[in-house]
Amino acid sequence: MGNEMISYLQRLEIMAFFSGYPLLYLVILSYAGKEELRTITKKRLISLLPFAYGLIGILYLGLQLRNLYPDYSIRHITSAIQNPFLAGWGLLSIFSFIPVLNKKPVICLLHSLVFFYFLLKDLYIQIISTSAEKSILKNDINVYSDSILLNIAAFAIMAILYFLFLSVRKKTKSIS
Amino acid sequence: MKLLSNKNLLILMILVSGYAYIASCTRNDSLIVPIQLTKPFVATRGTNVHLPGSLTAGNTAEWKVDKAHSSVLWSTNYVGAAGLLTGRFNQFGLHNVIDAEMTSYTTTGQPLKDTSWAFYENEPGKTYLNGYVQINQSNTGEPGRDAGCNVTGMGTVAIVPGTQNLNPVNLAKIKTTKIEFDPASNGYIVTLDLTWHGYVQSPITMITKTIVGKLSYVPKKRVQFGTAAAYDVFGLQLKFSFNCREFGIISTSIADNIDIECNMNFNNK
Repeated sequence: MGNEMISYLQRLEIMAFFSGYPLLYLVILSYAGKEELRTITKKRLISLLPFAYGLIGILYLGLQLRNLYPDYSIRHITSAIQNPFLAGWGLLSIFSFIPVLNKKPVICLLHSLVFFYFLLKDLYIQIISTSAEKSILKNDINVYSDSILLNIAAFAIMAILYFLFLSVRKKTKSIS
Repeated sequence: MKLLSNKNLLILMILVSGYAYIASCTRNDSLIVPIQLTKPFVATRGTNVHLPGSLTAGNTAEWKVDKAHSSVLWSTNYVGAAGLLTGRFNQFGLHNVIDAEMTSYTTTGQPLKDTSWAFYENEPGKTYLNGYVQINQSNTGEPGRDAGCNVTGMGTVAIVPGTQNLNPVNLAKIKTTKIEFDPASNGYIVTLDLTWHGYVQSPITMITKTIVGKLSYVPKKRVQFGTAAAYDVFGLQLKFSFNCREFGIISTSIADNIDIECNMNFNNK
């Protein structure tokens, strides 16, 4: 198969990781309500969003490392990754673990909107196109659904870990 | 009420996503729908089998390496940053050099028979290639470099005229361990072991690294020149790269990665 097909599949792959984040972000923020009325738990949930996004970035990095195994030479990386800028942009999500960045969850939203844009673009093309061919949009929606599930799972993992950590710390303090 | 409030954005996103779901509905359950971008590659391989046999002259079933028309080329970026440095190895062969054969041979011809290979065009599992080069026979066309920094930088010894030096200090060899079809071409993906002592001087220790390369086959053709008897030829091209730092090479004149290209021509004369 030509590079075009590989490039297309790699775009779908990266969308499967990041395109579902905006929806999760907006659901959590809408649930949390107005900033001045938020409870501590809701604030904590919002503060976990960048960590969940960072976890998604790590999973994406893991997939790339697995795909490149066993040859991690620059030559192989450049030939194997057809969308280097997009992949690089995706990997930047790992930086959301940095305290300066994770204090502003909206940065992760802006970062992930790049991947949601592809869905919007294909949807727009579908609307203006006279063709009945829906394969591209169908593929987008398939990976978008997967992405929503993946992002929910990543957020749930981070929430469970965080609240476990809190309860363990509470118990340790009460014992001492 | 703010236009860009979280709730408004959420409603907008749900509407957009919902519309996308409805618009993409094809009432099929397939996961990823193949879309036609470029025509998929279809391999066209024959069933040629080439074996060296015992290299009997005149036996057309036995294929001989045409060393005079073959080459082992190397290239790397000068100082790791500039244009290519290139060269070739004047002495090489297709033989699995075992420890007992790692010695000097007083001959100007091939010191060992080029018989450690087999090629099955449609059964890559049966194909194998073993080869070697003499490191001090690197030829860049600059005698000062070939007899100077090539010898010292590669941790080898100077050429002794009339001698083929297959001692460990001067030998680099490859041995294929797995050959598979390349799904993107008519070629093959080759996993091979590269063995070389590199710059490790005392004691001289052979280092083996596993490398992935690519093998191409130039199919068999019949040729005839003048009134001489016709004969068949075919070619194999093996390309791979390795990191010379893994073999202890410290020369800063060359980049970390060295590309190797083996162009082997065979005939059945």
